[in-house]
Amino acid sequence: MAWPAQFEKVLVIGAYGALAQAFMDFVASTHHHVSLLGVDTRQPQRENTDRLRWQKIKYNRSHFEKLFRNDRFDVVFHLGRMSHTVPKAHLRELYDINVLGTQRVLELARRFHVKKTVIMSTYHVYGAMPDNPHYLLETHPLRASAKDPLLRDIVEMDQGVSSFMWHYRDEMDVVLLRPCNIIGSDIRNVMTSYLIRPYMPVAMDFKPMFQFIHKDDFAKLLAKSLSLPSGAYNVASGDSISMMKAKEILGLPFCPAPMMALDPLLRLMDIKSFIPAYFLDYLRYSCVISPESLFSELKLSSSQLTSYEALRKLKAGLKDG
Amino acid sequence: MKNFLDKWGKAKPNPQFDQAMKELRSRYPEGEDPWGLNIKWVDRWFRLLWPLYRHYFKVRVFGEEHLPTKGAYVLVANHSGQVAIDGLLIGMAFFSGIKKPRVIRPMVDRFVFKTPFAASILTSLGGVLGDRHNCQMLLKKGESVLVFPEGVAGIAKDSSDYYQLKEFSSGFFRMALVAGVPIVPLSVVGCEEFYPFVRHLRGLAKALGLPALPLSANLWPLPSPVDIYIGKPYELPATLGADALDGEVEEHVAAIAKEIEKMLQKGLKNRRPFLLAKSP
Repeated sequence: MAWPAQFEKVLVIGAYGALAQAFMDFVASTHHHVSLLGVDTRQPQRENTDRLRWQKIKYNRSHFEKLFRNDRFDVVFHLGRMSHTVPKAHLRELYDINVLGTQRVLELARRFHVKKTVIMSTYHVYGAMPDNPHYLLETHPLRASAKDPLLRDIVEMDQGVSSFMWHYRDEMDVVLLRPCNIIGSDIRNVMTSYLIRPYMPVAMDFKPMFQFIHKDDFAKLLAKSLSLPSGAYNVASGDSISMMKAKEILGLPFCPAPMMALDPLLRLMDIKSFIPAYFLDYLRYSCVISPESLFSELKLSSSQLTSYEALRKLKAGLKDG
Repeated sequence: MKNFLDKWGKAKPNPQFDQAMKELRSRYPEGEDPWGLNIKWVDRWFRLLWPLYRHYFKVRVFGEEHLPTKGAYVLVANHSGQVAIDGLLIGMAFFSGIKKPRVIRPMVDRFVFKTPFAASILTSLGGVLGDRHNCQMLLKKGESVLVFPEGVAGIAKDSSDYYQLKEFSSGFFRMALVAGVPIVPLSVVGCEEFYPFVRHLRGLAKALGLPALPLSANLWPLPSPVDIYIGKPYELPATLGADALDGEVEEHVAAIAKEIEKMLQKGLKNRRPFLLAKSP
């Protein structure tokens, strides 16, 4: 894949996540004219190299602005959404980082003439509802917060990006990505944790369908997203798969249980801590998104990206340790 | 009874069933389609229900020569029987009761997807939420869909309304116009008698969040013989687009309802005796 020549200086926000690291390593190893700076609120665990630098930083402090002013980035990838599973994450903190932090990134990108800004949202914004049709389009209402107030921050963040994108459409280029479940053996999100643990309770009285994308494939798509025109894009496989089938592919035993028993069972197994309340809705109702616009813009075919393949890669990753 | 149970043990779906299963397996080698149809489930349930289909409901299919040989179509049928067994029987008829079998995807009311077990069983057997977007996507992928335009009103009928069509919604017609696929009218005779109506439990239905809850004297459906009549595909007017005026669309929807009504009356005249009917 050709990396556009005008995008030499890249800022990656939320760089210590496994996904961001996979993306930065991929870009650094395949595009030798690109220099990357990864920032995160956490302490860096990796050494700086010529083209790959790491820095600990608070997004809402003045030195964040200084970074934009002095480094004059061509592209910003904002992958630093705070997860609801982070221990002791308060609603206020989630709101500050996810909503206000994203707005700040966008404002700085506009002020310092960043050529392209790519922001990662999530498919959760659509909400898991019994009346969700299959293959939700990007224009589908974002109903997640109507059902679960815990998801208010991500819906607001997503809507904030859309309105910013619309308001400054002549000044800047913004791509908003709404990925399905990103999985990988070193990914620490709710879905991966739920998938890779054996004997997890799986709903037997409902059959929602899921889409998965492996972090390495998503990293490649992030790089390709530079060629996307401004707009919101669902990022998912063209297929979908049930949880029981997913567990079967991973070769993991699971406990089929009625939905009403799932919550008590998770508590009993002492794993409720990493499963936020809203996640149970996603185990009950489908929220399957349509990747059609992404596929057509990037000229991808549905066979190039499948949930089955993502799960097999996850299995191989788990085997490799 | 003994005779029936003997047949249950020995009965096997016909070669069309194997052909349909083979086609399903080749289409979805992973064993599941993106809407949740599970091939193992279809195999097991259809094998289990086949004796009921064949020797209990004694289903006969007429007019299969009218079916388009290629491409997807929208099947439009009358709804009856308090519980949507008619959908299952139509599905089985198209899966193994006709010469060129195919999987039919019934469009299911949204309340079903809120109902434990009904949601998972229907999804696994091929049921899909009755939504225009879903219908369009299925047709686009070459899947044929089954629509009951009367909705819940069709199955929650008083005895006095048996075999009388309720008002048809027009969504299916617009969907067929968008997808450019033929509409095949279908009449089902025999399902109204499965569950003799006693009364509507409106209060309980409301409390349970169900659109209707007709009370019947029996839990197990009565052995009413069932006939399925397939009509000629309805020719879609070339001049109409998907956003045509309601008045223009309603005229065609009424014509389709009339065709179904005609087949229903014909079917009622040719009905077999309730208990003495032979398996086809």
